[in-house]
Amino acid sequence: MISADENTMLEMRDVFLNYHSRKDTFDHGVHHVLNGVSLKVNEGETLGVIGRNGCGKTTVLRVMAGILAPDRGVVLRKPGSYASLLTIGLGFKPNLSGRDNAMLSAMLQGASREKAKSYLDEIKEFSELGDSFEEPVKTYSSGMRSRLGFTTALMTHVDILLLDEVLSVGDAHFKEKASAAMKARITGDQTVVFVSHSAGQIQEICSRAVWLRNGEIADDGQPSEVLSSYRQFLNSMKT
Amino acid sequence: MTLSQFFSLVDIQARMALKADASRYFLGYIWWVLEPLLYVAVFYVVFELVLDSGRGDFLVFLICGKLPFIWFSKSVNHASGSITANAGLIGKIHVPKTLFPMGVVQEGLYKQLSVFVLLFIVVLSTGYSITSAWVWLIPVITVQYMMIVACALIAAVLVCFVRDFSMFISLAMIFLMFTSGIFWDPRTLSDPSLTETIFLINPLAFILDAYRQILMNGIPPSAAHLSVIALGSAILIVATVRLMGRWSRLLALKALTA
Repeated sequence: MISADENTMLEMRDVFLNYHSRKDTFDHGVHHVLNGVSLKVNEGETLGVIGRNGCGKTTVLRVMAGILAPDRGVVLRKPGSYASLLTIGLGFKPNLSGRDNAMLSAMLQGASREKAKSYLDEIKEFSELGDSFEEPVKTYSSGMRSRLGFTTALMTHVDILLLDEVLSVGDAHFKEKASAAMKARITGDQTVVFVSHSAGQIQEICSRAVWLRNGEIADDGQPSEVLSSYRQFLNSMKT
Repeated sequence: MTLSQFFSLVDIQARMALKADASRYFLGYIWWVLEPLLYVAVFYVVFELVLDSGRGDFLVFLICGKLPFIWFSKSVNHASGSITANAGLIGKIHVPKTLFPMGVVQEGLYKQLSVFVLLFIVVLSTGYSITSAWVWLIPVITVQYMMIVACALIAAVLVCFVRDFSMFISLAMIFLMFTSGIFWDPRTLSDPSLTETIFLINPLAFILDAYRQILMNGIPPSAAHLSVIALGSAILIVATVRLMGRWSRLLALKALTA
């Protein structure tokens, strides 16, 4: 795919995405998730996407990662670049052990069997799961699950890193460690799109922010400015 | 994703599922052969002890038909829900959707290898011997595998688009169980043309009969008929794989939202 600008890693142009829910075939059964979203992600930047639950944040990431196709509009990616979406908690097979799940995740992201195996010790170590690493994931607490998810995600190497709420992980000790590891990853020339409903996290790590409201871009610019208009909007809802 | 990566993933998914499955049950891997045997036992009680089949070789006759049939029905049934069951993974990463039904089919294949060993032991221990016709087991098993792949892929797509299909697929398996000549012999029908018709319109009936002809009578199946089923399955597989490639993101949306 060709993009217009040398520095653009990824661009969405006027992207619409709808889906039909249940049996309704008329417009009241259609969910308009994205309503004409246009945005650019530049090489090396950390873009934060903020918005309330259900505003389309995760869908934007899924469209960027090529998991879902837009109904209208285009998604352009820098030729040869690979985007990967990292989320926690989802995608594990409950009956498989932590080790097998980590192995499967690594292989699904393109690692060979040998390469995936070589990640496993590191994943076990960082996630601090100990012997539970060999137990089925269904026996994990939600904190353990997200630790495994975060660590597995951290080990992969991609051109565009799409993060869905991954920093809200585990207990205070692990959160700090995860945050530090993620920041080390984000600085440098890694291109990152980071989704969160926490203004604090966006302020802390992002160089640019986008506010998504009802599937539309409500604001795009410096994190401090975007976040202040987002907070104003939240406050106006209280009254 | 390269082809070798794809098959490596299919293989690893299947092995992991088998391992996890075995660890969940007290009897573990024994269930691979115990479950089909219990099915055979149920049919034996009903059709031999209660209804009296009237044939002396009923146990071998039944087992030659039932064990390959279970391979087909369990694989297709299980594969039909495989895309929707992996919605969590599908929402995370763009992968070929064929990966999920193929993983299930592979799981069934690994189990079936031990079931076939059991089948041969039963056949040989009841007085039958290995004949040159046994070579034909290789193409028959291969063609049955192709039928399973074709039906598994189609079933998985149908259920992903409209969940209600899973009801029809379970029902279709029961229908096939009654119509494929598992506990009755299509060859003993009074009208020979009806036998031909059954084999013609129901490839599964032909395959099950082929197992019996090879194992019990030492007679090879019709190569032409087998080739037609192989060709038909191959066409369906290629067409469905291409469609699933084209519809990959649509299938993802359906799996995530329906």
